[in-house]
Amino acid sequence: MSNSARIIVFTVILGLVCSALLAGVNFATASYRKANERAEEVRNILAALNVPLPSDASQQELVKIFDRDIKQKRAGDLTVYEYAPAQGGGNVVAYAIPFTGAGLWGPVSAVLALEPDMKTIRGVRFYKQEETPGLGGEISSEWFQKQFNGKTIVSASGEPGFTVLKPETKAGPNAVDGITGATMTSSRVETMMTNIARDIYKEKANNGR
Amino acid sequence: MADSVTTAPVARRRFQPFGGKAGEILLEGVYKANPVTKQVLGICIFLAVTNRVANALVMGAALTFVTAMSNLFISALRNSIPRRIRMIAQVAIIATFVIMIDQFFRGFYWSMSKQLGPYVALIITNCIVMGRAEAYAMQNPPLPSLLDGIANGIGYAIILIFISIVRELVGSGSILGFTILPAAWYTKNLIFLLAPGAFFTGGFLIWILETISPSSQSEEGGERK
Repeated sequence: MSNSARIIVFTVILGLVCSALLAGVNFATASYRKANERAEEVRNILAALNVPLPSDASQQELVKIFDRDIKQKRAGDLTVYEYAPAQGGGNVVAYAIPFTGAGLWGPVSAVLALEPDMKTIRGVRFYKQEETPGLGGEISSEWFQKQFNGKTIVSASGEPGFTVLKPETKAGPNAVDGITGATMTSSRVETMMTNIARDIYKEKANNGR
Repeated sequence: MADSVTTAPVARRRFQPFGGKAGEILLEGVYKANPVTKQVLGICIFLAVTNRVANALVMGAALTFVTAMSNLFISALRNSIPRRIRMIAQVAIIATFVIMIDQFFRGFYWSMSKQLGPYVALIITNCIVMGRAEAYAMQNPPLPSLLDGIANGIGYAIILIFISIVRELVGSGSILGFTILPAAWYTKNLIFLLAPGAFFTGGFLIWILETISPSSQSEEGGERK
């Protein structure tokens, strides 16, 4: 066999074997990966909505609670999850709106939960991000996310928007402390929060809600 | 044919899967030619994942798996890989194992996969893996190559773990997530969580090791990353 024919045959066989192996692994793990990704999303929406959860809830339990108490709706360009707990007689007690934005190193996926007044923040989760671990990555930490609880997405004068402050500046109703050493990430969080606040307000005006 | 049978060695040979060099291969990979401290390879991942001990442990294990398996298979194929496309063949084999382990983490160790982010997939760019394939597996039989891969993986992991202990302790005041230095009186030194922290710690470690056992200046060169 000539040299180049040998190279082609070898490449084809190697390629086929490698692809077959990868296809096998992909097939074997696909259902687990999907379940993980779904559970991750569900976990963060539930956490943002501040849904009471058993501390050792398994992925299946989370998905069950989610499917029971939460309805997905569209409002213009936004996806809205309505939280109507079965025990509460089916009244909607909170809304969760997923949003994304640009972080410093990559896209950030987050979910914002609002009280029925569509102004007061019930919880925020920044759950998918590639920020610097230990610095910008702190946006996913409990202390940073907790600051948002009870804040509003409108300023005192009624303008939709949000501010992430430099440390030790005075906080308003729609502002939280930024992260020391992560000014860039903090300012990007500010931008994405302001964008989603404006989008929600636009949608609210359109729907007259 | 007949005399080739009679002249064949008839003496019973001890079974030596590693050609009697197992100890030497291990010592080379783990210490004498350690990928990080002696060859300064695989530094990109080293900078990125050593800010937490847990990350370093998992990355060390993942890299050991990939180096060992790719070494084994490349060595088994070393006589059939056409010379002109050997690099491509090596990369294809390495990539297959890297993607496998990435998928495995995504399926079964979700939280760890999230923490390591893109760095598991980036093992493919780690010079140690291809370096061992090219320098060792292409010239040696499969079993010694497998051991060489394991030795280099362990050598990498040990340094990763050591550096990450220093960085997590100084940078976060904790080890494996457990608080060692309470925030009440310890001010976290954030720079140790960033890439410079890895350069400081790694530099000091190489300095100390070079003082203890200097490496000769006439080492083989090669591309460094």
